[in-house]
Amino acid sequence: MRYLKTGLSAIVLLGVIFVLNTKMGSIPPIGKFFNPNAGFWGNAETSTPKSFDLKLDGLKDKVTIYFDERRVPHIFAENDYDLYFAQGYITAQDRLFQMEIQVYDASGRLTEIGGKVALEKDKKTRRLGMSHGAEISLSEMEKDPKSKQALDAYTDGVNTYISNLSKADYPLEYKILDIAPERWTNLKTAHLLKTMTKMLAGGNNDVAMSNVTQFLGNDFVEKVFNTRPTLQDPIIPPSRKWDFNAFKVQKPDSIFNPTISSDINEFERFEGIGSNNWAVSGSKTKSGYPILANDPHLGLTLPSIWYEIQLHAPGINTYGVSIQGVPGIIIGYNENIAWGVTNVAADVMDWYEIKFKDDTKKEYWHDNKWKSTSFRVEKYKIPGEESVIDTVVYTHHGPVTELKSYVNPESEPIYHALRWIAHEPSTEITTFYKLNRAKNYDEYVEALSYFVAPAQNFAFASNEGDIALWVNGKFPNKWEYQGRTVSDGTNPLYDWQAWIPHEHNPHVKNPERGFVSSANQYSAAEDYPYYLGEDYASFERGRRINDRLAELSDITVKDMQDLQLDNFSYLAETILPDMLKWIKKNELNEIELKWLDLLSDWDYYNEAELYEPTVFDAWWGLFNRSLYADAYSKTDAPLRIPPRDRLIDFLKDGSISQLFSTSKISESELLASLATSSYKKALDRLFTIFDEDSDEWLWGYYLENDISHLANIPGLSELGVFTSGSYESVNANYGGHGPSWRMVVEVGPEVKGYGVYPGGPSGNPGSSNYTEMLEGWRTGKLFELNFFKKEPETYNYKIQINNK
Amino acid sequence: MVLTVLIIVFSFILNLFLPWWSIAIPGLILGYLFEPKTVKAFGFGFLALFILWGGQAWYIHIANGGILTSRIAEMMGISTPFLMILITGVIGGLVSGLATLTGAFYSNRNNFTSKKA
Repeated sequence: MRYLKTGLSAIVLLGVIFVLNTKMGSIPPIGKFFNPNAGFWGNAETSTPKSFDLKLDGLKDKVTIYFDERRVPHIFAENDYDLYFAQGYITAQDRLFQMEIQVYDASGRLTEIGGKVALEKDKKTRRLGMSHGAEISLSEMEKDPKSKQALDAYTDGVNTYISNLSKADYPLEYKILDIAPERWTNLKTAHLLKTMTKMLAGGNNDVAMSNVTQFLGNDFVEKVFNTRPTLQDPIIPPSRKWDFNAFKVQKPDSIFNPTISSDINEFERFEGIGSNNWAVSGSKTKSGYPILANDPHLGLTLPSIWYEIQLHAPGINTYGVSIQGVPGIIIGYNENIAWGVTNVAADVMDWYEIKFKDDTKKEYWHDNKWKSTSFRVEKYKIPGEESVIDTVVYTHHGPVTELKSYVNPESEPIYHALRWIAHEPSTEITTFYKLNRAKNYDEYVEALSYFVAPAQNFAFASNEGDIALWVNGKFPNKWEYQGRTVSDGTNPLYDWQAWIPHEHNPHVKNPERGFVSSANQYSAAEDYPYYLGEDYASFERGRRINDRLAELSDITVKDMQDLQLDNFSYLAETILPDMLKWIKKNELNEIELKWLDLLSDWDYYNEAELYEPTVFDAWWGLFNRSLYADAYSKTDAPLRIPPRDRLIDFLKDGSISQLFSTSKISESELLASLATSSYKKALDRLFTIFDEDSDEWLWGYYLENDISHLANIPGLSELGVFTSGSYESVNANYGGHGPSWRMVVEVGPEVKGYGVYPGGPSGNPGSSNYTEMLEGWRTGKLFELNFFKKEPETYNYKIQINNK
Repeated sequence: MVLTVLIIVFSFILNLFLPWWSIAIPGLILGYLFEPKTVKAFGFGFLALFILWGGQAWYIHIANGGILTSRIAEMMGISTPFLMILITGVIGGLVSGLATLTGAFYSNRNNFTSKKA
């Protein structure tokens, strides 16, 4: 009996321990996870951090990291190696999981964490050639000894942090997913840079645009897509003259008609929101020194996309935001200059239809001969299962994806090869290394010349009084509209034949108007002699910023902060009075008339606590779609949506009826009918979802600003953040996209910076610091940044690091 | 009660260095040495870790201002964050209770008792 009882009891005990120690689906091992010491409880921050000393292997000298009241690290090192080592170390301390999960994603390795469900996503990533690009770029980056040293030091710093990390100290997400950190490598840093390119220059409409051409015809394309919208106000002011001879490339005689495919690839580019930056010259400011502002709009996440930091060592003192995993500062300032970036929507991602000789795919037709392909074997590891092997075929264009035919899914598959800027050797680390240390305009331009992708509008201001803006990146020299539709993979005239020389990139220094600005709109006026693409942000933000900057004088930092928070709806001001005129009031009921009255009294500001922006957004959305619905009903093949700006042109000049096949009704009848039906439908939809008296449909909630955790782990996000703004306002908040970092810098003898991002330095959801700045960000507060010229005497706490 | 207190002390120390399931060890040994009866064995063992883990969790919850408790509760779909503390206590208690019971069964007294029954 004794042994039987003991045995049974022991079996139950072991069984319970086994169950509680095993991961079940997405549920972490319960016993391990609830352990108050090493489980999730261990990640709860129970006291404010205090100063401490550390002894680490690998440093050349001593390093001190000071933390200010917002816990922003300020690194003071004696040499470059130690500086980047410390940056890697401290970034890993705050953001290790974020660094790693982004690399798993960028290298198509999510199956290793998430299992088979992630396989399709991983396959898409690898077929994009992300790792192929990262490998090419890394070997290029490592050719520059300074860049190599920065990469090595950063990697050493991250790995030193990881190797000193006990399981109990793993960041929370590791415990939830029951995984361990992996060693960092320079290649991972290269992958992170490719992620930026994927995020910012990884979209195109080639297939959808080819379909437009084939289903709607050249006339339609000419009218809708080939005419520069009236309201566009380009980045480089039209007064700029181009005093160089542009290199021309040869164009094919006729444009290739690709086979129509059914899959719209997931790299479709949407008319989304972008970023703002500008710099005003001393002639327009109160202090007489230039002021620079930047707010890059991205999908907002927790932990935040950016990691704020100061880097100080002999030859460098710079402050700003970095990308975790990448040495240096991406957006910021130093004692002499300030810079900020917005995305350039140039077309640097093209698809080529490939003709293979046979099923072996060993040869493809190009330039009138059969050329050899190469193969890259991709292996996907899946925990507890056999690895999956996938072979990706590469042509000289790039990796090949297989698509199904639209007409007959049973017929021969179609092959598209991808030519993408992310596959080019690139040296962005050199750019930031030099930019962080640049003292004047010339050094800024030199630093920018190393930058390949994702192309950015780099705004600049210096304490010598210069302001400038370079549309910067490596751009293929294309014939007009090259690569807008799917290209002929057999004809070398469709290849990227040459590059635009850096000095020919659109740029301007100290323009007469006293300011430079960008908001993702067209780079330059139509007389700029190169073709960069034609799919740019709509007019509203760019125009609003330029209008305001032209009006303002005696500008202060506060004025620039106010402009960043400007919620004006240029769209509503442009089109709403017309829509109110067109609508047939006699067809509206009492509630519809009431809201129409309220709309006509609205001052066009997208304020969180109003209902009017919601009504306008819902109405415009449906009205906008109804304008091309007739033309687009001809096919269910994916078609590229007409740019908003062009539709506004047609509405303004009374020619919208040309988009409709029936010519029976007049323009005014058409507008009246579309405006009325879309308005009725919009209100009907709103009041089906919301109670008219509830505040759930206040604009600030309706725009659904969800700041989601990077791995979408429930509970670690901040959902429904109540904010003003809109996709077309300067304060571009909409659907979880928005200003990921707001910065205003006044240069001069005493440079002064202000900034905020929706999160905090700490990536630990168990710390109040995780969302410390969120409320400030939401309400439009910018924090004064502590840019120390020498080691500070007052600080929150510090880490003193000495060599072992 | 001495048994409970001793299990708390040793479990606390072991759990600082060893994996979470080390909390079974004090129960196994002390259950054997103290020879409690079946119900008491499980009860004292359970109580020890319920107090220890539940208490630690409760302390962390208070010191952390409940930030993490509510995030994890939301993650697990638990509506009352305070339940997280209770669950922590019960998990620890269950393992320790079973361990103490196993230890006690192995001891002679329970062997003898069971024979009598």
